Parts: sequence; C-alpha cells; structure tokens
Amino acid sequence: MKPSAYRYARPSSVAEAVRLLADSDGGGKVMAGGQSLGPMLNLRLAQPELVVDITGIGELASVREDKDGIVYGACVTHAAVEDNRVPDAANGFLARVAAGIAYRAVRNRGTMGGSLAHADPSADWMTTLTAVDAEMLIAGATGERRVALAEFMTAPFSVALDEAEFIVGIRIRRHSPAARFGYFKFCRKRGEFAEAMAAIVVDPAAGVSRAVIGATDSRPIVLPDISAYLPLSPERLEAAKAMVEGLGIAGEPIKDAMHANAFARALQQVKP
Amino acid sequence: MSELSLTVNGEKVTVAVEPRTSLADLVRENLNLTGTHLGCEQGVCGACTILVDGVPVRSCIGNATACDGASVRTIEDFDADPLMTELRAAFNAHHALQCGFCTPGMLVMARDIVLRLGEADEQRIRIELAGNLCRCTGYSGIVKAIRWVIVARQGARGELEQRPALPLGPAGSGHAKTGTDVSGATKATASSLRPDAELAARKPAPAPLGASGKKASAVRQSFLLDAPLPVVWQRFGEVPAMVRCIPGASLVSEAADGTYDIKMRIKMGPIGAEFAGTASQRRDDAMMAGVIHGAGRDTKSATLAEGELNYRLTAEGEGTRVDIEVSYLLSGALAQFARAGIVTHFIGAITAQFAANLGRSLSPEGAVGPIEDAGELRVAGSLGVALKAWLSELFRNPFRRG
Repeated sequence: MKPSAYRYARPSSVAEAVRLLADSDGGGKVMAGGQSLGPMLNLRLAQPELVVDITGIGELASVREDKDGIVYGACVTHAAVEDNRVPDAANGFLARVAAGIAYRAVRNRGTMGGSLAHADPSADWMTTLTAVDAEMLIAGATGERRVALAEFMTAPFSVALDEAEFIVGIRIRRHSPAARFGYFKFCRKRGEFAEAMAAIVVDPAAGVSRAVIGATDSRPIVLPDISAYLPLSPERLEAAKAMVEGLGIAGEPIKDAMHANAFARALQQVKP
Repeated sequence: MSELSLTVNGEKVTVAVEPRTSLADLVRENLNLTGTHLGCEQGVCGACTILVDGVPVRSCIGNATACDGASVRTIEDFDADPLMTELRAAFNAHHALQCGFCTPGMLVMARDIVLRLGEADEQRIRIELAGNLCRCTGYSGIVKAIRWVIVARQGARGELEQRPALPLGPAGSGHAKTGTDVSGATKATASSLRPDAELAARKPAPAPLGASGKKASAVRQSFLLDAPLPVVWQRFGEVPAMVRCIPGASLVSEAADGTYDIKMRIKMGPIGAEFAGTASQRRDDAMMAGVIHGAGRDTKSATLAEGELNYRLTAEGEGTRVDIEVSYLLSGALAQFARAGIVTHFIGAITAQFAANLGRSLSPEGAVGPIEDAGELRVAGSLGVALKAWLSELFRNPFRRG
C-alpha cells in the first residue's frame, strides 16, 4: 500500500509553514506525528499535493506556563503527557487520558495538536480537552488567533481552520487542587476508537461543573452545568442516565444506552 | 526523491526515497530488512513495530523523510541484546508464537514493556499488548512469556539499561535540516493518469441495491414543499434537475436507455472522493412513488458506493409532503475507514441539503436563484442557512452542541 505521491517540506518556523500552506493553493496538509494522517494517506482517502511536516519547528515541541495556564505545543506527544514529561494542568487527568489513547507505539509519535486537527469524533483529546475548556492557538497569514476548543470542531474530521492555518498550541487553564475529574469510554477493544465516552470536570474554585459527551457521530456535546447530579446519589445517578438517554444522541437504543452509561460511570468517578 | 540519512541497526545509511515512503518500506525495500512485517498498514495490527530513537513506533505509518537523522532498530539488530535473548527463550518456552508473523512486533513491544514498566502483572501486560494482534496463539503464551521475563529480572535488579531522555515531540522527528525546500515531484493530475474512457469502462453496471448480500443502511427524512403535487411529481421525474439538487453531484451524460452518467464529489475534512457511475429511475404514477438508483466507484480510494433514493409524495394543503428514504452501501477503503455512524450522519447531511435545494429550486425565486453548492459537498462550514435550519430540526436537542 502506497500513498498517492506528494511533495514534502519541513519548515523551520511557523511563518514558513504558513507561507508554504498559503502557496499550496489548498493542496497542502500539515503533518505532525502522522498517526492519524498516515492511515488516511495509506488508504488514499487523503491525497494532499504537499505535506508540511511541522516537527522541525522547535517551539511546537515545548511547553510554556503563563500566570494561570499551560500552553502545550502542538507537537507534544501523547506519550510525553502520559509520562509526565510535561506539567499537567489538570492534576494528573491529562496523563490519565493520554495513557488510554491508542497504543504506546502510536503515542510515541501521535501529538495533541494532530489529534485535535484530525477531529475524529471518537478521539480522546477532542472530548476531554473540551471538558477542560482548552483554547486552540492557531497560526495563520494574519498572525495568531485563539478559539475555544468547544467552537473548533465543525463536523466529523472537520475543524475551523482555513487552508493556511494550523494549530500551534493548546492552552489549558491550571485547575485548582480541589478540581475533580471523570472520564469513561466504551471501546470494543482496548485502544480502539470509542463507541461512547464522557468526560466531567468539576472545579468549584472556578465555578465549573461541566460534562462533555463524545464519540457521537459528529461534534462532542457540551453539558455546561451538571451540578444538579452532584453529589451523587442512586436517584441522581438514575436521573443522569435518563437525561443522557433522553438526548437520543445516536438515535438507536443500544448506543444511546452506552452514552448514558459512559456518562454515569464518569460521574461515579467524581468523588465529593 | 529526497535523500535522507539514518542510523539503522548501528550503521549509518543514506538512501534516496520518495517523500511518501514509510519507515517500513524503507527498511524492507531499500535495506532488505524484511524481519519488519507489514500487516494492516494503517497502524492497527502492530506487526511493523520497530524502535525509533529507542522507543517503539509503527513503521507503516511513520513517514521516513520525517525521521531523517533518527536512529532505527529493527528485529534484525537484537541477536546480541541480553533482554531480547531472555525474551526469545521465554517465547520459545511458553509457545508464544506459531506462524511468527506478529512476532517481530510482539518482541519489540515486549522489550519495551519490560524496560519501561519494570513491573507489570498479567492484566497490565495485556493492556500494553493491545496494539499487537496475533491470530494464532490467543495471546496467553505471549503474556506468560513476558511475565516470566519480568519475574526473572526482578531477581537480578540493576540490569535494566539506562533509558534515554525522551523528547516532547514525535519519536524520530526533529533531527533533520529545516527550511522552505520542497522535495518530491509535482503530482501528475488524475486525468492524465486515467482517461475518462477507462473510467467509463470500469463503471459498475446497475444492479438492485443489496445484490451483493450486504445490508444497506438507511436515512429517512420527510419535508414539506411549497409547491403543488403535480409540479413536484414532475420535478422528481426529471433526473438532471434532481441531480443538480444533490450536493456534490453533477450530470455527465444521458444515455438512450434512460440511464445517466453522474459524478459525485464528497469532502469530509481531508478525505476527498469522487464517485463516477450511473443513475436510473423507476416510477409508479398511481402510487406517486419512485426510486432513483445510483452506483459508482471512486478510483482513487477504490471505494464502491451504491445508493437508492425512495420517495413518496402526498398532497398536504396547498403543498406537497415528501417522504424519502436514502439507503446506501459502501465498500472499499472509505467503508473500512469511516465508522457507520459517521457515514449515516454524513448521508443525513447530504439528504437534508438535497431537500433544501429541492425546495429552493421549486420556489419562484429558486427558478432563477443559485442552488446551494454545485461543486462539492463540504458538510462543515459552508452549510447554507436553509440547511442549518433543517439540521437543527433534524438533530435538535436541549443542550448546546460543541
């Protein structure tokens, strides 16, 4: 199996990458670790004219901290997060999520930015980083802009980037020590794409009590305030399940029940 | 071609490869290191797992040019490796292989598990091995062999090798020279490679949907059109006008036998496909119902698509109620890649946009006004206002999306 032929460039700066993309007339595709793009290239589902490898841009494989948040470079790998080679803005939650992405051999090359740009509805970061209200740092011809991740994905495999734009970083607010997290996904096999998933972030100091339902057929669904279900009781757990089932996310009973149960199990992880 | 230098199994090598070459193809084809096996070539089976800069990587989806300057170790390099020697003995003792196809990847991963984790119980080993498929053993021998080595090593602490300081970016990337140079030849255009005559020759003949025995998926939608029943009935009979309302579809030619050559372009993120095929229609005047059948092939991804649009019209007040059911079958690369729910969602979006376009084409302004999207379908971004209304009705829920 061979991908369709493409040209390849490895720019040294964000500005060079933007210029290469702008000059490619829509035929350019950014690649970081290539763990999502690679299979699509091999299957010839994606046939870019030019692949712009952004892993030569040093700053994208780094982390910087500001007053109340951490900016992860787009090329930081899942394995780096899993191994705590970078600080965790969500008290260990990010490392836990990272450890469950695909397989170690994929995590060694797969990146946060690449996963979010690929926007597979069942991908772990899209749902969990929406739950921590991550902000995308996007470089383009007119400079850098920021978009909330909740507004970033527009449809399956589609994001709000124009042809000369790409993700340079992901900013996550530093959560308070009291913040609690829940994450559960159903997969037919460990490391496979999830059938249903839910992520929950409760951070009283920031007034956050948010849940995100992922692995839908399209965008993740944000439940902005789930405080009515906490602290959890058997009655509240049932009400929570009924609420998610009532959303009719998949429109068929078995998958809707999986979404409801993924949410319930994530909720059960949120200890008072 | 781009020239790249790697350290492979301790030796410096310089090879010239096309930019599309994977690490797996480089080691197998250019260096004749065929111990690295290729199974799925989409990062699922793990047979091609090798070490890149000391950590396991899928060589089938690791771009070789991106790893210019990296250090690569394939299964051929572990003859003298003490830990691999222990693992080989354990695999032998515990019957951890039969046909041996998965074994190079299994051993590379097993070695990583022992070195990285130090201690791992059976469950942890199974979790860590989930990305390596074996079709012979049922895994129990492999898991036992790895556990056996872990237990044996605990009696001899201090033998674990020093782990390298790992970078934050993708393993293998980031060594090579950067700049604005572009390598690789400009791609020949699809039309220069495949003349239309050849495309036409490959066109599948129309057959009843599901003739292959596979179960078709279906999307149902109902909508009201602000036009009287006879007008709508006539419009449904005009295949060219109907094709114009299907986002991404275009009419190529009409044959004397009442079939039509059509093309349909779809776009979902980086995924693009262009289906070329035929459409035909059967109608029942008494029932005010009909079926439009289409079948086509995307030669780029070798995907076959077959679809049927069943419709029934009923008068409702001054207007017409339209009930449609779109059923479809996909086979080939696209079907392998896209999960059923996503495809259904996509077809639902196309159907909703078709309905909106049809309504617009029948309205007085629509007779002269533009029809939403003539070129290709992009589910994201460029959805028209009418479609957004359709979609919000279709996927309504009390919570904010996204």
